[in-house]
Amino acid sequence: MDSLRIVPARDDKSATTQDTSNSFGLHDTLQYGPRSLATEVRKNGAVKDRLENWEATQDNLKLQMQRQLFGLHMPMRILMERKLVSQNSHMPVLSQSNLHLDILMGRDEMLECPDFMMPASELRQPSDIHADMEKKLRM
Amino acid sequence: MATASVYKGAGFDFSNEVRNTFLSERGIPLPKATSTGTTIVGCLFKDGIILGADTRATEGPIVADKNCEKIHFITDNIRCCGAGTAADTEFTTALISSNMELHALSTGRKPRVVTAMTMLKQMLFRLVPQPTHYHRPPSSIAPFPYRYQGHIGAALVLGGVDATGPQLFTIHPHGSTDKLPYVTMGSGSLAAMAVFEAKWQPNMEVRIPHAHPLPTYAHSPPPPPQRAEALDLVCAAISAGIFNDLGSGSNVDACVITASHTEMLRNLVKPNERVQKERSYQFRRGTTAIKKESIRSLIVDEDVTSITGEAMDIS
Repeated sequence: MDSLRIVPARDDKSATTQDTSNSFGLHDTLQYGPRSLATEVRKNGAVKDRLENWEATQDNLKLQMQRQLFGLHMPMRILMERKLVSQNSHMPVLSQSNLHLDILMGRDEMLECPDFMMPASELRQPSDIHADMEKKLRM
Repeated sequence: MATASVYKGAGFDFSNEVRNTFLSERGIPLPKATSTGTTIVGCLFKDGIILGADTRATEGPIVADKNCEKIHFITDNIRCCGAGTAADTEFTTALISSNMELHALSTGRKPRVVTAMTMLKQMLFRLVPQPTHYHRPPSSIAPFPYRYQGHIGAALVLGGVDATGPQLFTIHPHGSTDKLPYVTMGSGSLAAMAVFEAKWQPNMEVRIPHAHPLPTYAHSPPPPPQRAEALDLVCAAISAGIFNDLGSGSNVDACVITASHTEMLRNLVKPNERVQKERSYQFRRGTTAIKKESIRSLIVDEDVTSITGEAMDIS
């Protein structure tokens, strides 16, 4: 993406089942309920898309500017460092904190909404640790 | 498969969004949040900043809180008044207060008002609602908090005195800011602005209204009577909002911030005290005649056994 957008673009939603897929790659009816084309194709709220893509868009802007100023090696090194640091051999338990990653991303001295507002989905106990580990190791 | 994201995510849970969209399209409205359709003002005077606010919180047409506090703490020398959804203003100012403390610890300097302003505007801009495809009923007649339907609706007046001097900013719900010598926000802002426009002058002194004497500010020469004093002016502006706007009411809060210290004047003026009832509505004893009286002892049978054994083992 060669764009220098500051704010996430409002793109039309396409139907996808990846959000709710189980280990077979199909829609997980047991966990998420029956599939509904109306909910998948209809455009969701704009705030949700904006918030979820916010950090990625800002990050992309910075990396793109670094590429244009310094060359391809600069964003490559930055991304390499991040990748090295996010390798986490622990099991996916509830709360995982990665201080090194926070420092590299520049949020070590800031408090943001995700730090203290936990969605209900994260409060659940990991019901199937094997499935969680499988998902993690396939990444 | 997706790789583990280095980003923290939105922090909000959108799993109910499909259901809410469905319900609102069927005509079932979202519940109204407690809003502080309000009057908040800020004003620059000779030594610093005065912030003022009313104390009514409404929930639709009902007064939810007759004496709520709208002047929030950011740092020792910076305060922020909030209008809009009460939860949003409190949450936003608390978050920014925490971030300011972290920032001050990290830089090792006293915090500045522009830092708080920048943090607030960046946070509010991130949450700007975009227009959607389906028709939303026009909200030009409704007070602004209802337009946002759950998105952050917080209009703030931020003021403080830092190393660069006294600063006064407004932050609108979409994230735009202004730097002005006197500002008003909220539903009563027009009434309060009318008072400011008529009487504000640069370099006013502070004089305490007779209801609340404060020896700290008793500068010896009494000011000439035709000059409007800053604190009186702020009280007059808030009172204009209280009496002329339905969304504002109850008492006047003020906060005087100078380079040396900050004085929080809670309930400075109370123009809406409840009058004492003229009659007493207690019934005198004997109004209802007693026809029959029967006393029943709840103790049927009492048998006392003395225990002279060892004491209870509480080790």
